[in-house]
Amino acid sequence: MPGLPAPDPAGLPAPIWLLKFLSVFTLTLHLVAMNFLVGGTIAMAIMSRRGKTDAVAARVRDTLARALPVTMSLTITLGVAPLLFVQVIYGQAFYASSVLMAWPWLAIIVLLLLAYYGLYACQFRPEWLGKHLNAVAWVSALFILLVGFLFSNNWTLMLTPKNWHTLYENSISGLALNLAERSLVPRYLHFMIGGLAVAGLGMLLLGRSTTRKDAEAGERLTSLGRKWFLAATGVQILVGLWFLFALDAPVRRYFVGGNMIDSSVLGLGILLTLISMVAVRRWPWLAAILTGATVFLMVVVRHRLRQIVLTPLLRVNDLPVNAQWGLFAVFAVVLVVGLCVVLWMVLVFARAGRSTAAADQPEAS
Amino acid sequence: MNYPIWEVPFIGGGMLIALVAIPHVFVSHFAIGGGFYLALTERLARKTGDSVMLEFVRSHSRFFILLVLVFGAVTGVGIWWTIALVNPTATSTLIHVFVWIWAIEWVFFLIELLAAILYYYGWDRLEPSVHMTIGWIYAVAAWLSLLMINGILTFMLTSGRWPETQNVLHGFFNPGMLPSLLIRSAVCVALAGLYALITGTLVRDDEARGRIVRWSAKWVIAGIAVLPFLGAWYVATLPPMAREISMGGAPAVTLFAAGSILFSILVVGGTLIGPYLFPRQTHVTYAFILAALGLFATGSTEWVREAVRKPFIIYDYMYSNTIRVRDFNQYSMTGLLANARWEVPREDERKDPVKLGRRVFRAQCMACHTVNGFNGIRFAVKGWDREFLDHQLLYLNQLKGYMPPFLGTDEERAALVEYLLSLNEPADATPDEKEEGGQ
Repeated sequence: MPGLPAPDPAGLPAPIWLLKFLSVFTLTLHLVAMNFLVGGTIAMAIMSRRGKTDAVAARVRDTLARALPVTMSLTITLGVAPLLFVQVIYGQAFYASSVLMAWPWLAIIVLLLLAYYGLYACQFRPEWLGKHLNAVAWVSALFILLVGFLFSNNWTLMLTPKNWHTLYENSISGLALNLAERSLVPRYLHFMIGGLAVAGLGMLLLGRSTTRKDAEAGERLTSLGRKWFLAATGVQILVGLWFLFALDAPVRRYFVGGNMIDSSVLGLGILLTLISMVAVRRWPWLAAILTGATVFLMVVVRHRLRQIVLTPLLRVNDLPVNAQWGLFAVFAVVLVVGLCVVLWMVLVFARAGRSTAAADQPEAS
Repeated sequence: MNYPIWEVPFIGGGMLIALVAIPHVFVSHFAIGGGFYLALTERLARKTGDSVMLEFVRSHSRFFILLVLVFGAVTGVGIWWTIALVNPTATSTLIHVFVWIWAIEWVFFLIELLAAILYYYGWDRLEPSVHMTIGWIYAVAAWLSLLMINGILTFMLTSGRWPETQNVLHGFFNPGMLPSLLIRSAVCVALAGLYALITGTLVRDDEARGRIVRWSAKWVIAGIAVLPFLGAWYVATLPPMAREISMGGAPAVTLFAAGSILFSILVVGGTLIGPYLFPRQTHVTYAFILAALGLFATGSTEWVREAVRKPFIIYDYMYSNTIRVRDFNQYSMTGLLANARWEVPREDERKDPVKLGRRVFRAQCMACHTVNGFNGIRFAVKGWDREFLDHQLLYLNQLKGYMPPFLGTDEERAALVEYLLSLNEPADATPDEKEEGGQ
């Protein structure tokens, strides 16, 4: 049986802690956008059906439809960075598992493309789609859910090198999946239900900002979002436990008292979730901040899980480092300047929106 | 060798990359040139108080985001996906060596994306001056992302001093980087014009359509006019072997190189006699034909750029089959299969030269060859006998300059010979291969 592929002789371009931090941080950003995309698309699909007979639901649908293509753009773009860092740190495992499931993995690109155009069609051309609007929205939602499932397959497959050789020798080239993995289903559900919860919170905030222009639709969206957040988070706790118990016992032990830091990070994540469930009615922004922090902590847990499982074969902390500090400094400067430019653009856009809304006000009354 | 091999039936991995990359290149260059086109055309329309032209820029910007943000962005990720599946070892090198360049490019990409969205949604919302500024931010960020990716792309063909020094800056600022950047920038300008001809010819107002179509035609002509000079400069930076391959050394590549020039001439000629001289009469079908010719020109050029890199995937560092040049001696001494982590012969395969040879073929040849499909080896060795095959393999890189040397022991070479012979033997000889079908 072949071992893990050899590490890239170029070495790591920065100390491992920096790469891990960037990986975890950018993945958190990606997941927040991805969560809103998953839950928001499902909500939009549901509202498309209800909107046929319910004018308020139709306006809720429109509000979501306007937000989703942009969310898709952000999800993809913010996903590029963590994918870059996972290839740097865990390339030996990632490339191998990706090739084993090459066709399904490549299908992600096609599914994303179709789902993305579906979302734009729902936003720009609902009248063209007519009675098919509902179907298009559901197909987009389904494709997005399928993309998530394929991701879960690869992220678990890269953690099980012991199965690789059998899959490579016995399945048609590039058609393997990781369906035999015990933690696959709970892991996948854990991520998708997280999507419903975070999207609920996002809809709540979106609803509040919509209320100024359209009180009925805004209130509907707000209450729908709150319900989704509470229900999905409740289910999430159960699915999370299922996921935890689907892990091999020695791995699970790290998170249930075996390792103080790992257990504390997981425990703190759960605690913040519970607080945000209480806070959501009165202080939705606090709930949003706490949920953002929870996502970050859970990404840390996810990262630790990967490291713990792979460590006997791959000690990433021991990989040779060939630091490129000069270029890193250029990246840091470009990042800071870039974020300032982004901030400026978003601010002028938001300010212009307020002045447009203010100018519209007298006309409307 | 280090990673599993993905057998892509019929077309092979290289062709699959081309199928994803060529449409992406065609759209992504438009994404860059189109940014400048939007910014400059909006400025022109506002300066001259041309409301029809302004309305055109607005509708063009919707076409733009639907093509660029969706197709351009997703296929861009798609190329990354595909190269990592077809050639993980080379992808790993590009990622590890250039991680900060990729990261910088990602920042530009993020700015580009947000600017495009705000530009589109800001038509009614933003002050004209702010709107135009965001248009410029988009254009500059998009070009800067080209600056980054171009350095990595050209590194693969003109790796310059990097193989000796391993200094990332030597890799990025390689000999081909600047001419290629200028060529791609010119192509961006031409493609911006070509795409604008499609939306421009649909403007209803005759007079305005005339103005818009001629303005767009100028972009096509200006972009292509500088290409011969820049092209000559670029070719001068290529390694001698690459020049030789493109200019007669490998007939298929030479044909594509000629095709690239021919299609470019057709685009510029067609633009001159059509939209430039008769802007009002130009029909949208004509604009589509010009765009299709532009796609052929782009496709052939990219194909040639990939083909002339042989026998390397990263010049002077890694052969097309992902074996590093410096590992040559090790492989010759210890054998190929001893170093191929995934092609581990089973006991029965060790005793059967044909089966052992198939392992050698998968590990060493499949990066470029399929069995029966594109660049199919069965057809390539048809009619060759044992001695001839062995001679070809022994002197592979000398007889065929665009191929790497055969790496492995005498036993492995003999096994590969047996496998290749078996491909064209009568049907009863190799039942296994019948099952393999068009792979």
